[in-house]
Amino acid sequence: MVEVIQQIINGVAIGGVYVLIALGLTTVFGILGIAHFAHGSVSMFGGYLTFFFVTGWGFSLLLAILVSLLVGMVLGVLIELLAYRPVRDANHINAFIVALGLTMMVEGLNLEFFGHEQVVIPTNLSRVFNIGGVTIPELRLYVIIAAALLVLAMTLFVEKTKTGQAIRAVAENRDAAILMGVNVNTIPLVVFAISTALGVCAGVMVGSLFAIAPGIGEGLVVKGFAVLILGGLGSIPGAVVGGLVLGITEALAAGFISSAYKDVIAFVVMISVLLFRPQGLMGKA
Amino acid sequence: MMTLNRTFIFYAVALVGFILLPQLIAVKYYLHLSVLALIWVIAAQGQNLIQGYTGYVSIVQAGFMGIGAYSTALMGIHSDMPVWLTITLAPFVTAFFALLTGYPSLRVKGHYFAIVTLAFNMVIFIVLMNFHELTQGEAGITGIPKPGAKDGLFNWRDRETYYYFVLIIAVLMTALAALIVRSRIGQTLIAIRQNEDLVGAIGIAAWKYKLFAFVISAMFGGLAGAIYAHYQSFINPEIFGVAQSLDAILAVIIGGSGTIAGPIIGAFFVVFLPEYLRFADSFRLILYGLVLVLATIFMPRGIVGVTTDLMAKWGRGKT
Repeated sequence: MVEVIQQIINGVAIGGVYVLIALGLTTVFGILGIAHFAHGSVSMFGGYLTFFFVTGWGFSLLLAILVSLLVGMVLGVLIELLAYRPVRDANHINAFIVALGLTMMVEGLNLEFFGHEQVVIPTNLSRVFNIGGVTIPELRLYVIIAAALLVLAMTLFVEKTKTGQAIRAVAENRDAAILMGVNVNTIPLVVFAISTALGVCAGVMVGSLFAIAPGIGEGLVVKGFAVLILGGLGSIPGAVVGGLVLGITEALAAGFISSAYKDVIAFVVMISVLLFRPQGLMGKA
Repeated sequence: MMTLNRTFIFYAVALVGFILLPQLIAVKYYLHLSVLALIWVIAAQGQNLIQGYTGYVSIVQAGFMGIGAYSTALMGIHSDMPVWLTITLAPFVTAFFALLTGYPSLRVKGHYFAIVTLAFNMVIFIVLMNFHELTQGEAGITGIPKPGAKDGLFNWRDRETYYYFVLIIAVLMTALAALIVRSRIGQTLIAIRQNEDLVGAIGIAAWKYKLFAFVISAMFGGLAGAIYAHYQSFINPEIFGVAQSLDAILAVIIGGSGTIAGPIIGAFFVVFLPEYLRFADSFRLILYGLVLVLATIFMPRGIVGVTTDLMAKWGRGKT
C-alpha cells in the first residue's frame, strides 16, 4: 500500500507538469483554434535558458526563472505575430503545419545553442521528507505546490480580470467579442505570452526534476494534448483532472508494469477514453 | 481539354525521364538516393490521400512504413513465404493497425486525429525499440533477402534493377491514387476537406470515408516500408520515428497538397534536400522548419500550385 501511495505522489508531481503544459495548450486552442505543437519545444527552451543563466552567468535560480519567463513571453508573442497570424484566416490545417515547422525550428535552435547533452538545472533542494514510510523529496513537493499555485492564479486571471473576461469572450464567440469592443488583435498576443510563461515554468520543473534533452519537448507536447483529450478541450478543470490522471497512470504503470512501456500504457488509456467518452472525462456531451 | 493534354504531356515526359534517369546518373550514390525518393513517392502519395485530399494531418506515415518493413522482414524470417508474398501481405498488416487507431480517433472531430496518430507513431517506435524478442531492438534486423532467386532472370542485387522495380510500383501506386481521387469516394473525401458539416448534413457518414482514406494511406506507407526493407536488407527503428513522418507531411506540402504530381516532386525534394544541406548539418533542422513555415504561409499550394499559376499567366499573356 505504501508503495502505491509512493507512486501516486510521484504521479502527482509529473502530472503537475502535464497540467501546466496542457493549460498553455488549451488556452491557445480555445482562442485561436490552433493546435500549438511547438509548445513543448518552446517550454524546453525556457528550461534550457534557466539552466544557462544559473550555470553560465551565475544567476540565482529565482532570477534565472524570472528572466527566462520574460524571454519566453517575448518568444511566444513573436511566434504568434510572425508565424500564426499570417495563416489565421486560412484553413486550420495550415496553422497546424506551421506549428510542425516551428517545432523543428525551435528544436534546431535548442540543439544549436545548448547541444546534444542532457542538462539538469541545479537546485539546492535536496532534503527528503518521510511521512509514514512514504518519501517525498523537497523539490518534488515544491513542484506540486508551485503547479497548484499557478493553476489557481490562472483560474483567477481568467475568471476575475477584465483581460480574462475578454479572453473568454473571444473563445466563446469571436464576432460578438469584436462587436463588444474587444481588441481581437491583442488578445492572441496576451494568450501566447501567458501560455508560453506557463510552458517555461513546466520546462524549469522538468529540468530540475528530471533532465532536459533533445526530443523531450516533443514528447511533452504529445502528453499535453493527451491530457486535453482525457480531460476535455477548453476547460481548466479538464486540464487539471486529465493531467493528474495521466501522471498517476504513468507512475503506477512504470512502478508496477514496465517503465519502458509506460508511454504505451498512457496511449492505451487515451484511446479508451476516446472510444467511450469522446468529449473527455470532464467535457460536456 | 487543353489542360488535360498538358497534364498528359507532363506525365509522359516525367515517365520517360524516370526511365532514362539511371542511364544519366554517373554517381552510384545518386541512383541510391533516387531509389529512396521513389520509395518516398509511394509513402507520400498515401500521405496525400489523407492530408491533401481529406484535410486531416496524419503524423504516423513513417510509423506505418516501419510496420510494413518489420512485418515483411519477420514473415520472411519465421516462415518460408517468398518475398513477393510477404511484400504483398505487409500493407494488409499495416491496414489492420491503421483500423485499430483510426476508428476511435476519426470518430471525434478536429485535431484529436493528428495528436492520436502522432502518439501512435511514438508507440510504434517504443515497441520497435523495446520488444527485443521480436524486433532485435535498436540493433535492427539484418540479412533481409532480396526478391527473386539468386540465379533468376533479374539481378536484384543490382541497384538499377531495383530502381526499375520500385519505379513500376511507384507508377502503379500513383495511378491507384489518381483513380481513388477521381472515384465517387475520392470526391467525397474532397468534399469532407471543404465542408465536413455539409457532407454530414446530406446524409453521408463522413467518418467511414475518413477511415477509408486513413487505412488506404497507411497501406501505401506499409508497402513503401516493405520495399525499403528488401532494398536495404537491413532495418532498425531509427528511420521510422516521428521526424520521418514530418518528412512525409513536408513532401506533400512542398510538392503541392491535393494534387497527384505534388507528392512525386515533394518526395524527391525531401530525399535530396538534406543531401544538399549537409554542409549545414546542425542548421538543417532549423532550415527545414523554416522552409515548412514559409512554404505554408507563402505558397500553401506547393510547387505544383505555383507552377500552374505561372503557366496560366503565361498562357493568358500569349493569347
